[in-house]
Amino acid sequence: MASSRGATGQEIKQHFATKEGCYRLLDLSVYSRPTKIPYSVQQCHPVRVSFVTVKDQGGCNDRIAFNVGRELYFYIYKGVRKAADLTKPLDKRLYKGTIPTCHDFNLLTRSSDSLELLIGFSAGQVQLLDPVRHEVNKLFNEERLVDKTKVMCLKWIPGSENLFLVAHESGHMFVYNKEHPAGVGPPQYAPMKQGPGYSIHSGKSKTTRNPVCKWTIGEGSINEFAFSPDCKHIATANQDGFLRVFDFDSQTLCGVMKSYFGGLTCVCWSPDGKYIVTGGEDDLVTVWSFLERRVIARGIGHTSWVQVVAFDPYTTSISAGGRVDDSDEEEIEQNGIAPSSGSSSVTPDDKNLTSYRFGSVGQDTNLMLWDLGDDVLKPQRPRGRSMRNATLSNSHVTSTNCLSNGPVTHEVSHSGSGNAVAPMSFDTPKSLTQVHSLSKSVENLVNIGNVAPGTALCPKMEEVSILEPLVAKKVANERLTALSFREDCIVMACHEGFIRTWARPGKVGVQPTGTVV
Amino acid sequence: MGATASQLEKEIGHEFPQNEHYFGLVNRVLGYKPLSKRKESLLTCLADLFGNIASQKKKVGVLAPKKFVARLRKENDIACDTQMMPKSVKSPDGGNWRTSCSKTNCFDNYMQQDAHEFLNYLLNTIADLLQGEKVKEKEKDKHSSTSSVSSKSSVSSAGTTNGGSHQKTDPTWVHDIFEGILTNETRCLCCETVSSKDESFLDLSVDVEQNTSITHCLKGFSSTETLCSEHKYFCETCCSKQEAQKRMRVKKLPKILALHLKRFKYMEQWQRYAKLSYRVVFPFELRLFNTSDDAINHEKLYDLVAVVIHCGSGPNRGHYITIVKSHGLWLLFDDDIVEKIEAQAIEEFYGLTSEIQKSSESGYILFYEARG
Repeated sequence: MASSRGATGQEIKQHFATKEGCYRLLDLSVYSRPTKIPYSVQQCHPVRVSFVTVKDQGGCNDRIAFNVGRELYFYIYKGVRKAADLTKPLDKRLYKGTIPTCHDFNLLTRSSDSLELLIGFSAGQVQLLDPVRHEVNKLFNEERLVDKTKVMCLKWIPGSENLFLVAHESGHMFVYNKEHPAGVGPPQYAPMKQGPGYSIHSGKSKTTRNPVCKWTIGEGSINEFAFSPDCKHIATANQDGFLRVFDFDSQTLCGVMKSYFGGLTCVCWSPDGKYIVTGGEDDLVTVWSFLERRVIARGIGHTSWVQVVAFDPYTTSISAGGRVDDSDEEEIEQNGIAPSSGSSSVTPDDKNLTSYRFGSVGQDTNLMLWDLGDDVLKPQRPRGRSMRNATLSNSHVTSTNCLSNGPVTHEVSHSGSGNAVAPMSFDTPKSLTQVHSLSKSVENLVNIGNVAPGTALCPKMEEVSILEPLVAKKVANERLTALSFREDCIVMACHEGFIRTWARPGKVGVQPTGTVV
Repeated sequence: MGATASQLEKEIGHEFPQNEHYFGLVNRVLGYKPLSKRKESLLTCLADLFGNIASQKKKVGVLAPKKFVARLRKENDIACDTQMMPKSVKSPDGGNWRTSCSKTNCFDNYMQQDAHEFLNYLLNTIADLLQGEKVKEKEKDKHSSTSSVSSKSSVSSAGTTNGGSHQKTDPTWVHDIFEGILTNETRCLCCETVSSKDESFLDLSVDVEQNTSITHCLKGFSSTETLCSEHKYFCETCCSKQEAQKRMRVKKLPKILALHLKRFKYMEQWQRYAKLSYRVVFPFELRLFNTSDDAINHEKLYDLVAVVIHCGSGPNRGHYITIVKSHGLWLLFDDDIVEKIEAQAIEEFYGLTSEIQKSSESGYILFYEARG
C-alpha cells in the first residue's frame, strides 16, 4: 500500500493499510458546520463527538452530536452508507457567554422521539437538552455556585437513568441527579471519605438538592474519566500526571500510576476491563494492567501531546477466534464484526492468541493504531533475566515490531487459563478487584512529590516494553480532538470542526456519485 | 502602574513570604562579592540591582535597571567592533546550532536584540568575570613576577574559545547552574569506528516544527545525521574523508535546562529571516529522551520555571515578555507591568497552528529546573 510509508509526512493521508485490510477516508461523509467558516479562533475548545443509536422505522438510526466553537450540532449520522447532508441538522444551538466543551447521551432513556443529551460548558454549567424535541429540560450549576471552572468531561453513570458525573478543571468531580433541584445558595458538604490524594464529600443540605456528592482528586484539572466496562470502577486522568482508579461504589482508591512526565490528558479501558490506556503530555501512550497494578508498556510514536485514546473492540480478540462486544452498544451484530478481508483468518496457531487493538490521536495531527499482543502481555522469557541481555537479543523483536525488552519481574498471574476468558461479560472475575486491594503504589502516593522513575508508580523507560505503532498517519491539518471506533468505520474530529469517517476494510463506501454501491 | 501594583499585591500578598522576590539567579548574584571593590563590572551592576530589589520594603514595585543598562551599553560600545552578529547563524558544519558555547561579544544595543543572544552574552560575561577573579586570586598566592603572563593568557582563552575549554578552567557557579555536557558520536560508515567527543553547553537550540512538542524537538536535536558530500568527516582510522553518521546526545544533564526554540529562520525564498510561529507545546514537567547511554541520572525530572516569550511578527521587530514561576504562582513580566496569570493561560504561548495570522506571542526560551 502506497500510503503505508512516511508516517510523519506533511501530506494528509486518504487511506492506510493494516493486516486486516485497507481503511479509506470517505470524502462525502464529512460532518461540520453547514456553512464553512474560516478557521481562525485559536482558543476554541476541542471538538468532541457523541453518538447514539435509536430504534426507529427509518434506515438511518444513528445520531451524531458535536460541538464546534460556540455551536452544537445534532445530525443524522449516515456513516459509510450515504453522504452527509449538512443542510439539515436535526438541531443546532448557538451559545453566548459560555461555550460547550463536552457532551454525552443517556443510553437508558433514549428513544426515537426523545433523547437526553448532557452538555458541559466552559464556565462550569451543565445543560440537559432534548435535541429531538428541541427542548432544554434542565440547567445545572446555572449560578456557578457548585464550580466555576470549565467542564472537562461529563458522563451518565452507567446503569443509572438519573445520575451523572461532571469533572471540572478545578480538580473536582460532582455527582448530580437530574431529578434533584438546584437548591438555594452555595452547596454545603460533609466529609465522607478521605484517602491519599483524594477526598469525597456528600451534600449536607437537609432537603434533597444537587450536587449529590463531590470528589476532589489530585492537583489540577481532571482531564478525563472513564468507567470500567463492568461499571464498577472509574479511572481518572489528571493534569498532575496521575492515573487513579477507584471502586466507584465503595469510593476507595485501588490503583495509581504516574505519567512518565507531564499531565495525563485521556484514559480508556480495554473491553474486558483488564487494561487501561492513557495518553499525555509525555507524547506517550501508556498501558497499565489493572490486574497487576503496574505499567506494562509505553507506546512511542506521537510527536506531540496525545489527545484521545480508545480501544477498538472490533479488532480486539481476547479468546480463541472470539470477538469482544462493546458493553455500551447492545445492538452490535456479531456477524458484522468479522473482518471481510485481510489475513486474520484463525489458524490453529492463533487459537490462544490475545490481541488488543487501540488507537490514539494527538495534537501532532496523527492517528496511531497499536496492537497489544501476547508478546507484551505474557512474556515467555524466564524470570530474572537481565534487562541488558534482553535488549541486545534480536530474537525478542516480534513480528509486530514490538521491541520486547520488557517485564522480567512478574509473570502474569493468570497465565494458562487466563487467555481463554470468555467474551466480555458484565461480571468481572473476582480476582480482578481482589489482587492487592491497596497495593504499594497507593501507599506510595502519600509522597506525591517524590516520583522517582523506577518505582511501581512510574517505572523507568527500560523497565517496560516499548510499543511501536502499526499505523502512524497524518490525517488532518489541525490537532485531532476525537476518536471513535464503530462497527464499520473509525470517526475522527479535528480542531477545525471537521468530523471525518474512515471506512473499515471491505465496508461499503460512499461513491462520488452519491449512490450506494 | 499604581492600580496594577496594588492588584498584584492583593493577589500575591498572603501567599508570598515577606521579603521574597522573584528572580532566578538572585541568590547566587547576591552572594557575589567582588574581590576588588573599585572596578565596576556587569556583574557588580547586576548584584547591585538584585540587592536593590531584595532590600525593598514593599513586595511590589518598579525599579529601573539604569546602572545595569548603562554598563551594558558601555561594555558593548567598547567591545563592539566592526563585525556584527547576525540574528541567527547556521553553523558551517551544518549541524545543530549552538551559540551557547561560543561567546557573543558583539552586542549592538541600537539594534533590536535577540533574547537568546543576550542570555548567552550575560552568562558568558559573568562566567568570564568570575574566572578572571579566580585566576587573580591564585595569582595573589603565587609570586606575581612569574605568573602574570600565563594568567593573562588563560583569562583571554576563557573568553574567546568555546566548548570544552570551560572544563579546563575552573567551573564557576554559572557552569554549576547551566552547564551540561553533550556527547557527539560520529560513526565512520567505512570502518564503523565510533569516535565520541564531549562538549559543554549552557543551553540547547532546537529546530521547531508545526504541531509538535518540545520533547519531539529535543528528539530531533539528537537524531542521526549523515555527513556526506562536502560535509564528509575525516576519519582518523581510515586517514581519509569518509561518509559518517553523527548524533549528539546529552551526557550530563544541567541543573537548569535552557531550551532555545529556533523560531527565527533564514528563508532562502525571501532572502531574509522570518519568524516561525509554529505551535510547539511544552509541558510543566519534562524528562529527556535524548540522553546518551552513559548519562548519569538520565531520567531526571525537570519542572518548567520560566519562559521568555517573543511577541511580534518577525525577527526585527517585536517585544519580549517573560513568565516566571515563583512560590507556586505564575507571574507575567511585561516591562513595568507584572501580573499573576493562571497556569492554564500559558497555553496561549505555545504558538499558532495556522499561518493566516502573522503575529504571535510564542515561547522562545524555556527554562526547566531539575527537581530535588
